[in-house]
Amino acid sequence: MVDRTTFRLMLLILGVIFAFLYIPISVLVGLSFNEGGLPTAWTGFSVKWYAALLANDDILHAAGNTLVVALFSTALATVLGTLLAIGVEIRRRTGKWLETVIFAPMIIPDIVLAIALLSFFSLLGVKMGLHTIIVSHVVFNLAFVCAVVRARLKSFDWSIVEASTDLGAPVLTTLRRVVVPVLMPAIIAGALLAFTLSVDEFIIAFFTAGAGRSSITLPMQIYAMIRFGVTPEINALATIVMSVSVFALALSQRLNKGGLPGQ
Amino acid sequence: MSHAFLSIQNISKNFGSVRAVSDVSLDIRENEFFALLGASGSGKTTLLRMLAGFETLSAGDVLLQGGSIADLPPNKRPVNLMFQSYALFPHMTVAQNISYGLEMDRLPRAEISALVSEILDVIQLSELARRKPDQLSGGQRQRVALARALVKRPKVLLLDEPLGALDKKLRSEMQLELKRLQSEFGITFIVVTHDQEEALVMADRIAIMKDGSLLQVGTPHDIYERPESRFAADFIGVMNFVPVTQTAQGLVTSNGGRIRAATTMRLADQSAAVAAVRPERLHIGNVGENSVEGNVLAIAYHGLDLQLHVKTPIADTPVVARITANVADSLAPKIGDRITLSWSAKDTHIFPA
Repeated sequence: MVDRTTFRLMLLILGVIFAFLYIPISVLVGLSFNEGGLPTAWTGFSVKWYAALLANDDILHAAGNTLVVALFSTALATVLGTLLAIGVEIRRRTGKWLETVIFAPMIIPDIVLAIALLSFFSLLGVKMGLHTIIVSHVVFNLAFVCAVVRARLKSFDWSIVEASTDLGAPVLTTLRRVVVPVLMPAIIAGALLAFTLSVDEFIIAFFTAGAGRSSITLPMQIYAMIRFGVTPEINALATIVMSVSVFALALSQRLNKGGLPGQ
Repeated sequence: MSHAFLSIQNISKNFGSVRAVSDVSLDIRENEFFALLGASGSGKTTLLRMLAGFETLSAGDVLLQGGSIADLPPNKRPVNLMFQSYALFPHMTVAQNISYGLEMDRLPRAEISALVSEILDVIQLSELARRKPDQLSGGQRQRVALARALVKRPKVLLLDEPLGALDKKLRSEMQLELKRLQSEFGITFIVVTHDQEEALVMADRIAIMKDGSLLQVGTPHDIYERPESRFAADFIGVMNFVPVTQTAQGLVTSNGGRIRAATTMRLADQSAAVAAVRPERLHIGNVGENSVEGNVLAIAYHGLDLQLHVKTPIADTPVVARITANVADSLAPKIGDRITLSWSAKDTHIFPA
């Protein structure tokens, strides 16, 4: 049993850590509702900066792009990542190296992946735009979806696959009616995680978007705006992006019963 | 050409250098309740999975009604397997689990629901049709797994340790239930089990497996009363073994006594052998051709009967004798008593040492 003084000290340390983590975010959220828009003085509650966002065509365009990239890359990564996870689990005996190769995109620094993808697209002579961002996001999202689904597969009872076959089902029917439904919570969790990662991804999108403003995404737009100082509009935008991410992540964790990727 | 319903012809299965099933041949009749009995690692489950199509044959062939099924994938075989773990689909209700196989046969919807409600009636789970497997007890899950395999009316139903996960009382109920369903549906059942009592109660015929080979095939009565090997004698029920030597005078025990047997074995003079007798064939008092004296070491009470463990000069291990409650009441044996055990010559089995 820890004595009272030590316990209080531990509580204090915990408080400091949480303060360090969450005060900056709270300040950002708070300022996004500050009527005056200045970080120095609170002049009253207002949602006018959120209204201003809606009037900003650049931001709406970027938000639209981000949504397109996130939806398409999530859909692709979810389908491919799930199939990959199932395949790897079936061929588990082929060794550990396969796992390492699959999870590499999760570990490789984003900047390295970004440069690599840019070189790759240039080499192929692909004209860059939203489609190249989508493909690039699929590359790392694939690894995350695969990790989440594989965590679920660890406790998967393969005898139900044999039972389905025994009852007369061909392979694809078994996949559609037995394997995918049983894995569905993990597949949705993986998709939500992929969506979150794609929405606020900056470096890779920045490198693979190509020239011009047509395929600019939301994080890129915020970066462009911030060069002229942090405006209240940016606070409002950041708050929205954060809410979307936190909501998707919380849902993902809940569906996956607390299992973290790679576990 | 064999006319057996299911003819297993010289099949073998190798996993790398390990031979799980070794040159097994077996003819199984239509509507037969057949048990494959063996310890774990005897190859019985591998043999069953070869019949289901989940393991390929390394050698041999399997004929069903005269046609080879060896090259058919599991989903094309008119054979169904009830899994040891039951393998129910966790995301489907009881009714959906049962109708799955019928949907794969592309039966009309009305026919499927009629068949499903009919079999739910048979297994007495109609009121639980909308439950998911995790809301069922072990015994209910077992019946759903059985119904799911049975509803397709396969030519052969394979059951892998079907009662293994149930408690003892439920198990003896289900043994009779399985037998009832088998005769009601008129389907050939092949059951894999390690439980000799289960095999004796349920099966029309039993095959004892050891190290991937068949040791003996016969009716429960044959297997119990006429075991062909020391392993089979030991594996099924309880058997007392007495080391003996074959001499010109007959079988001689280590202390010079003689054991009489009705059957003879072709053994060379002076070769070592083992005489064996079932505990229930032993009587207290000198009433048979063979007798031996000993001290009661322990008494195990089983309700219906008593088991006496008797230390005798003819064997290192205590001889087990089974006496009924009536006999026990009149004799009232106590630990330390000196008693005479006897048995008739026809109850002596002889095996090579």
